[in-house]
Amino acid sequence: MTTRKKNNAGNRLLMLLVGLFLYAPIFILIIFSFNEGNSSTVWKGFSLHWYAELLNDRLIMHSVYITLLVSLLATIIATVGGTFAAIGFYGMRRKARNTLTAVNNIPMMNADIVTGVGLCLLFVVLFNGWGAIATWVNSWQSVIVLPERLTMGFGTLLIAHVCFNIPYVILSVSPKLRQMDRNLVDAAQDLGCTWMQAFWKVIIPEIKPGIISGALTAFTMSVDDFIISYFTAGTSASTLAMTIYGMTKKRVSPEINAISTLLFLTVLILLVIINVREAHMEKQRQSRTLAAVPAVPVRKPSKITPVLKRVGAGALAVALIGTLIVTGVAARGDRVVNVCSWGEYIDEELITQFEEETGIRVNYQTAESNEALYSLIALGGADFDVIVPSDYMVGRLAAEGLLAELNYDNIPNYALIDDQYKNLSFDPENKYSVPYTWGTVGIIYNTAMVDEPIDSWSVMFDEQYADEVLMINNSRDALMAALCYLGYDINTTDEAQLQEAFELVRTAKANGVYQGFVMDEIYQKMEGGNAAISMYYAGDYLTMLENNEDLAFVVPKEGSNWFVDAMCVLETSQHKEEAEAWINFIASTEANLANMDYIWYASPNTEALEGYPAYYEELYEEELDSEIYEIMAAPPEVLDRCEMYLNLPQETLKFYDKLWTQLGI
Amino acid sequence: MSKELIRLHNLCMAFDDELVLDNINLYINDSEFLTLLGPSGCGKTTTLRIIGGFTTPTSGDVTFDGVRINDVPPHKRQINTVFQKYALFPHLDVFENIAFGLRIAKVPQAEVEERVKEMLSVVSLVGFENRRIDQLSGGQQQRVAIARALVNRPKVLLLDEPLGALDLRLRKDMQNELKRIQQQMGITFIYVTHDQEEALTMSDTVVVMNKGRIQQIGTPEDIYNEPKNAFVADFIGESNILNGTMVRDNVVKMYGREFPCVDGGFAPNEPVDVVIRPEDIDIVPVEQGQLVGTVTNVTFKGMQYDIIVDFRGFKWLIQTTDYSPEGGRIGVRIEPEGFHIMKKSEYSGMFGDYSSYSEEYEELADAGVEDEEESEDEE
Repeated sequence: MTTRKKNNAGNRLLMLLVGLFLYAPIFILIIFSFNEGNSSTVWKGFSLHWYAELLNDRLIMHSVYITLLVSLLATIIATVGGTFAAIGFYGMRRKARNTLTAVNNIPMMNADIVTGVGLCLLFVVLFNGWGAIATWVNSWQSVIVLPERLTMGFGTLLIAHVCFNIPYVILSVSPKLRQMDRNLVDAAQDLGCTWMQAFWKVIIPEIKPGIISGALTAFTMSVDDFIISYFTAGTSASTLAMTIYGMTKKRVSPEINAISTLLFLTVLILLVIINVREAHMEKQRQSRTLAAVPAVPVRKPSKITPVLKRVGAGALAVALIGTLIVTGVAARGDRVVNVCSWGEYIDEELITQFEEETGIRVNYQTAESNEALYSLIALGGADFDVIVPSDYMVGRLAAEGLLAELNYDNIPNYALIDDQYKNLSFDPENKYSVPYTWGTVGIIYNTAMVDEPIDSWSVMFDEQYADEVLMINNSRDALMAALCYLGYDINTTDEAQLQEAFELVRTAKANGVYQGFVMDEIYQKMEGGNAAISMYYAGDYLTMLENNEDLAFVVPKEGSNWFVDAMCVLETSQHKEEAEAWINFIASTEANLANMDYIWYASPNTEALEGYPAYYEELYEEELDSEIYEIMAAPPEVLDRCEMYLNLPQETLKFYDKLWTQLGI
Repeated sequence: MSKELIRLHNLCMAFDDELVLDNINLYINDSEFLTLLGPSGCGKTTTLRIIGGFTTPTSGDVTFDGVRINDVPPHKRQINTVFQKYALFPHLDVFENIAFGLRIAKVPQAEVEERVKEMLSVVSLVGFENRRIDQLSGGQQQRVAIARALVNRPKVLLLDEPLGALDLRLRKDMQNELKRIQQQMGITFIYVTHDQEEALTMSDTVVVMNKGRIQQIGTPEDIYNEPKNAFVADFIGESNILNGTMVRDNVVKMYGREFPCVDGGFAPNEPVDVVIRPEDIDIVPVEQGQLVGTVTNVTFKGMQYDIIVDFRGFKWLIQTTDYSPEGGRIGVRIEPEGFHIMKKSEYSGMFGDYSSYSEEYEELADAGVEDEEESEDEE
């Protein structure tokens, strides 16, 4: 007996641990969504602040709208299509039916990434084909002008969602059909129904539970999907999951916790509804078989449950439609400008303000990295108007003819940009770009964990700090640190120099200097005091500082990279006028001040840059720490030892890739 | 004789090159209770589905009241069906199930209530209006199915093995009930079954079918007393079927002996099948017997004994109230009326020998709670 009890206790402990392991991440996420502070590791008290913030976040509300709209439409279309398909399967001979059922099941098992990439390729191929046809049609007639260039967007997203939802509906409806007496349809027709009447009056009520479960499953899948959406949404539509992913790229805001909590709850509720329904149906079926023989006492069908059900369904529908309307109001307006920037890289008040002032609707998207943005544009899958690439990428895009020349007459605020940010190497004649922000890369370190003040890149390769250093997971920046340390040009194309810099990183890695190669995790690790030293962007350091006052930032004495992100208009833009209006608006002093305050990156607008301390004082009624200001806007003596990235030749880029692969991370 | 209502003319049906109905010709009179009887796969359900309009024949015509109705869909035919396993609508209660056809026809509510009430009393289900279908017993569901069909006042009611799923007692009660309902409503019933007893009990006319062909059409008495071939003789009741020769009218020769009988019209010395029903054989002392055989098996059946008697290697079934011990020698006598002579047919030699008799033969014969495959094949 005792041993069994002991086993039981052991089993329970194991169960508890497994449960903890499975759910701890979600609990932590939920708890931190109520955190007062903006850290994901430091608890500063309970608050609903981030939920309130969510409602004001235009980008998130828009993606909620897109998500709900695409999920609802896809669910409706897939439910109708899937139901008819299931009925079609049902009417087939067994062999054909089994084959088709197998074909139907494969997409559910198939890796999402394969489905996503497959659909993406299909769309690209179809659009190319369409382009050829449209051009040909337009060339010999002018009555109907067909659009020659189709891009992925809401339409393709919807098609993809319908596509992956249909199998779930079929899977859920088919068993209901099989359970149905084959003679029911005959009986209905026998009693005077046409086939259609029989369908509505007999088949639908019989398979309704299956249809509803199918629709709920499809809706859940749609809300939940990221990978397939990511490949098929193109650039102008972004689902909630995609937005969250985009947000993690630049700065981990606790808003993510809040929205993830809501998403988790939504999916949880849907799953509970589906499972409760299934359990209920199972019970009913069992009672049916049991009650078949003995006469059961007359039971008046309860009128309350159907009424409750109807009220519940009605409330749900109203809630959904309400959310759609609320989130959809933003999506009004005829004139549009499609902007693609980085996550958390704008004060969204500015978007609303711009829309109110000009009546132009802003479709604000985010990309992950310069390289990802480049491939989107080069592939022809982007329909952006304004993009905000970094310096070297502006050079590359301009060299490849992908950027439109700007009409600076439409951008009078360009005059407000400081001359030192004009005519830079990436756009020497200033034809394509208007600077958005600038900043430096440096070392972030925890003063409580490091004894001496740091001023050299050497710490990034020093065994003294073994397992305390976070290396940036980006070949260009990582090798930049090594090149600076070795005294080489950060834009060198000399493979021997690059090889030497690489060996430095490789040796340090082999000696266990690095705790890891990271990007976003830097926030948690540095804020939580899990690592002592790392390298990152100045603006992001200031965000970390809010959660951990021990952190310090330095631009090493050997020099570093300084960067400019600049607004450009794509050659393919259909809204050049609106794009220039947007650029002009963002270049204004007011917009630059708001942005600076929001994202902590320095402004290229002279008035804004110089006026920021006063602006800060007025807004927060306290003086801006001059040290902070200097980190944000590096003074000339610091900037003097920094260099800007140049667009490297193709061979050098390949050499970078080759080296980075050898590192084996 | 009442007037003809339905006629099937040269009806053929093939599923995937497999001939299911082979040239069926049949007419059905108004107010007649006609039964299609046959083993599973004989085509009886297919015939019924063609009359109901659920299946279109490969060739041949169906006429209703003299009008060809091959292409008339089921919902436009004045015919209703009671399906195998009832096919009641599970999402509707008893009342709404019965009212279904009337609702489709947009009959006013008051009339719907009146007619449903009337049907409920016809099938003795008054008070069950609000029951859910899954709260009914098999027999009650059966009655709902009948009421649901009859409430539309069809000219013809098709019944597809309606009693197959009921237990024996209930089946007997429902047989009487169905006959009563048919007489009360005065309409034509076309009934499909594989149960010969059911067919004989209820029908005005029985159509025996096998392998897609009609074997015999006649009254229950005709079918039983004057089977046309060995198949019918064997399928309807028990029969000993022997090879014989018709020496001349009223004289048949078997076992090298001549027996007086009452049949005629055959060529002299024509080989024939001789049918002797087990109950038409009298057991007599050995010296008085026309034939002498050895009892090999005795089964007590309640009302009678089933005994198997070996006559020179051919085993007969005899039903008698007199006990004869196993192994005993007995004589038998058969009255001239006891012989039934049939022409030789494709079925000759296939039936009527009880050599393989065992006590389970009855169960084996009844094990036909079947037709699953049949209906599946015919979809």
